[in-house]
Amino acid sequence: MSIVRLPRILAAATATVLGAGVLAGCSGSSDSAGASAAGPVSGGSLTFAVNQEPSCFDPHVSPADVTAVIQRSVYDSLVYQDSSGSFHPWLATSWNVSANGKVFTFQLRHDVQFTDRTTFNAQAVKTNFDSINAAATKSEYASALFGQYYLGTKVDGQYTVEVDFSRAFTPFLQAASTTYLGIASPKSLTQNASHLCAGGTYSVGSGPFVESARVPGQSVTFTRNPNYGWGPEGSGHSGPAYLSKYTIDFLPDDSTRVGSLTSSQVDAAVIPVTAVKSVEADTQLSYVAHESPGIVYGLQLNQARTPLSDERVRQAVLDASDVPSLVNAVYFGLYKPAWSPLSPSTPGGTYDSALVNSWGNDPTAAVSLLAQAGYTGVDSAGYRTKNGVQLTLHWIYIAESQTDERDTLGQALVAEFKKVGIDLERDVVTEGSYFTDIEKGDYDVLDLSWARGDADILRGFYHSASAAVQGSEDASNTRDPQVDAWLDQADGNVSLAQSAAYYQDVQRWTIQHAVVLPLYVTEYQLGVSKRIHGLQYDVSGGPEFYGAWVA
Amino acid sequence: MGPTTRFLLGRAAQAVLVLWGAATLSFIALQLLPGDPVSTLLGPMVTVTPQVRAQIVQDYQLDRPVLIQYADYLRRLLTGNLGTSYQQELPVRTVIGQQLVPTLQLAACAAVLGAVLAVVAALLTAGRPGPLRRLVEAAELLAVSTPTFWLGILLLTVFSFRWQLFPVAGAAGPDALVLPTVTLAVPMAGLLSQVLRSGLDAALEQPFTLAARARGLSTTAVRARHALRHALIPAITLGGWLFGGLLGGTVLVETVFARPGLGRVAVTAIDAKDMPVVLGVVLVSAAGFVVVNTAVDLLYAAVDPRLRGGRPRT
Repeated sequence: MSIVRLPRILAAATATVLGAGVLAGCSGSSDSAGASAAGPVSGGSLTFAVNQEPSCFDPHVSPADVTAVIQRSVYDSLVYQDSSGSFHPWLATSWNVSANGKVFTFQLRHDVQFTDRTTFNAQAVKTNFDSINAAATKSEYASALFGQYYLGTKVDGQYTVEVDFSRAFTPFLQAASTTYLGIASPKSLTQNASHLCAGGTYSVGSGPFVESARVPGQSVTFTRNPNYGWGPEGSGHSGPAYLSKYTIDFLPDDSTRVGSLTSSQVDAAVIPVTAVKSVEADTQLSYVAHESPGIVYGLQLNQARTPLSDERVRQAVLDASDVPSLVNAVYFGLYKPAWSPLSPSTPGGTYDSALVNSWGNDPTAAVSLLAQAGYTGVDSAGYRTKNGVQLTLHWIYIAESQTDERDTLGQALVAEFKKVGIDLERDVVTEGSYFTDIEKGDYDVLDLSWARGDADILRGFYHSASAAVQGSEDASNTRDPQVDAWLDQADGNVSLAQSAAYYQDVQRWTIQHAVVLPLYVTEYQLGVSKRIHGLQYDVSGGPEFYGAWVA
Repeated sequence: MGPTTRFLLGRAAQAVLVLWGAATLSFIALQLLPGDPVSTLLGPMVTVTPQVRAQIVQDYQLDRPVLIQYADYLRRLLTGNLGTSYQQELPVRTVIGQQLVPTLQLAACAAVLGAVLAVVAALLTAGRPGPLRRLVEAAELLAVSTPTFWLGILLLTVFSFRWQLFPVAGAAGPDALVLPTVTLAVPMAGLLSQVLRSGLDAALEQPFTLAARARGLSTTAVRARHALRHALIPAITLGGWLFGGLLGGTVLVETVFARPGLGRVAVTAIDAKDMPVVLGVVLVSAAGFVVVNTAVDLLYAAVDPRLRGGRPRT
C-alpha cells in the first residue's frame, strides 16, 4: 500500500501550483473531440494515469483497489457484476446455488483459452480457488472474500465446477466477480509462482488484453488478445477488444498527473478532489465520478477504551457533529454527506435510507449526554472534565492517508467537537506505530473507508469474529451477539430482500449505539478525454478497457 | 606496485569497511523502527488471517533472534546474495537492477550539466565586478534556495503542460530526461559556481596571475588554464559529494516526474520495513559514494601536480 509521498508542506505547495498547471493546460490544447457519431473503431491506443503503483500485481495477493483496476483486463472472472450491481454470465454461462445455500455450481464456457494457449476448464477454476486459499500464497485480501467458510472446489466434469462452503454464503457470487478472484492460467500459477507479484508477462489470464510489459516505477502496457471471444454478457460486445494497446502510467504526484491530463499527454486519469472543478471546466475532458460502494469515510469509535466505552459519550460525539455542513464546507458539494456506515451505492437495496437526517447537529443534547456520563466539570481551556480528567479523544493516523482534503475535514471536526467541550486530538504517527497502537487498542478514533460492491463488507467491520483477522476494519471493537446474528443471517440462505433487511438492521444499530461517525461517501473520480468512447465502469467506478475505443 | 595501485587497493579495503558499516547501521535503524514487522510489511488496508501471518513469519524467518538474522544476512552478503524483497517477492538484485540505469542516467546528466553551468558562470564573472556578476550571483542564490520539487513542477508547468516541448513523465527517451536533469542541475550549479568563483577570485589576486599576464597570456587563458586549477579542488570535493548523493536516488524529483529510480524504491521499502531492499539500496549508494570519492581523489592529482607522485589526499 505504500506510495512515495511528499512531505505535508510540500504537498500543499504542490497543490497551489496545480492550479497554475491546469490553467496553462486549458489554453494549450488544440484538437477537438465530439466529431464521432459513428460506431466503435478498431485499433488505436490510449494512456490512463493512476496515482499509485501496487507493490504486488497479483490480485490473489494484493488488497489494493488499484491492483483490481490494473489487472481487470488480464483476468476474467466467473461472473460479471455491472455498474448497477447485477450479475451476468462471463466465464460461467450459468450458475446455481443449492437449497441450503452452501453449494455453488457453475457451468463453464467451453471455448475459453488462456493467453499462454492452455485451456480453461473446471480444473483451472479449482486450481485458482485452492491456490488463493493456500497459506503459501499469503493472500492479503482475496482469501478473506470467501476463505473463512471455503471447504473446497469439486470438478464435476470438464466444464462443471462446484464450490462448497461450510455454511450458506451468498456473498460468494459478488466475490467471484471481482478481479481478486480472477482466473489465472494454472500454468502461470505454478511456473511463475514466485514472480506473480512482479506483474508484466508473469500475469497470464484469459482476458481481452495481455500484460505485455511492465517498467517498474513507470508504467505497464497491455496489448490486445486477438483470440478473445468471451466478453461478459451485458458489456455490449464479445469479440476482441477495440484498442490494439493501452498503457497505465503511474504518476504519484497529483499536479503532474492532472497536468498530464489537461495537456493531453494522457487520455484519462484518476484525479484528486481539488482538480474536479478545472477538469469539469475543460472542454476536452469529461469528469466521471462514481460513488464507491462499501464502507463510507468515517470515524470508527473504539468501544474498548474509556471514554468511548460509555455509549453516552459516543452519542455525544454524533450529536456534536453537523456532518452535512462540514462536508459541504470542505468539499463544496462535491461529496455527499454520509448518514450510515454503508454507502448508498452498495448494490442489493442494502442501504438504509431511513438514517438520512436522523441524527447529529444537536450540541445541546451532546452537552447533556456528557453531563450524564459524568463530564460535569469544565477546565480553563473549555474542555469537559470528569473527576478532574479532561475529555480527550485520540485520533491516530498516518500522514499519507490524509489525502482527499481529509486534513481539512479533520481540523473542522476538532473545532466542532471543541464547541461541546470534547478535546479531539489528531495524533500523526508513523506506519509502524500505527499498527502497534491498533494492536494494543491504543486509540479512540480511527478514520477509515473501504470500497466493496457488497454489503458483506459490514461483516469485517462489525462482526465479533473479525477480531481474529489482522487489519484495521475491526477498529470500533464491536462485540454484539445481535449484530453477529444479523450479519450471519444476512449472508446466509435467505432471500435478497430479507438479506437487505438484516444489513439495514446492522446499519441502524451502529448509529443507535454510535459506534461510527459516518462522514462522507467516497468517490472514484476520473478525468477522461472526449476522444475516448465506450469506457465502462465496474461497480466501484474503476474503468474497464474492454469496450473502449478512440475516435 | 605503483602508488596509484597501492592507493586503489587501500581504498578497496576501506570500501569493505564502509559497506559493512552502512549495512549494519541500516540494519540497526530498521530494527529500532517501531511496529511489528509483519503488520508493517502488510500495510494498513489488508484482511489477513493468522495463518497467513504465520506463513510470512516462516517464509522470511522473522521469528529468529535479531543477532542470528544479522549474522545470516552478512553470510549471504558475502556470497553476493542480496536476498529477496519481502514486498515484491523479487530478488533484490532485480529490484535494484531495474532502477539502477535510470538513476545513473539522471545522476550523470545532472552532474555534467551542473558542472558545465557552474564553470561557465564562474569563469565569466570571477574577478569582474559589474551588473553581470550581480545578476549571476542573484541567480545562484535563487537556484540554491529553490526546493527541487518546486522547480520541477514549475518546469513541467511551462515546458510540458503549456508548450508541450517535453513529456511529463517517465524514462522513455532522451526527451524525458531533460526536465529532471535541469531540475537537479540548477541547484547543484548554483552551489558549485559560488565555490568556484570565490576560488577564482582568490587565485586571480595571486602573483602568478600577474606573471602569466606579463608572459603575454590573455585574461581568458589565465583564467581557464591557471586560476581554474587552483579553484577546482574545493569544487571537486563538493561536486563529488553532491554527485554521490544523486546516486542514491532523488525521491522528490522521481516522484514529480514519475521516473523510476532508487529513491522511490528506498522510500517504499522503508515504509514497509522491506529489510532486504532497504539494505540493498544502502549498499548500492554506499558503494557509489566510495567510487565517487576514489575518483575525486584521483582527480585531485590530475588537477594539482603538487599532489602527484606522493600519496594522494584521503
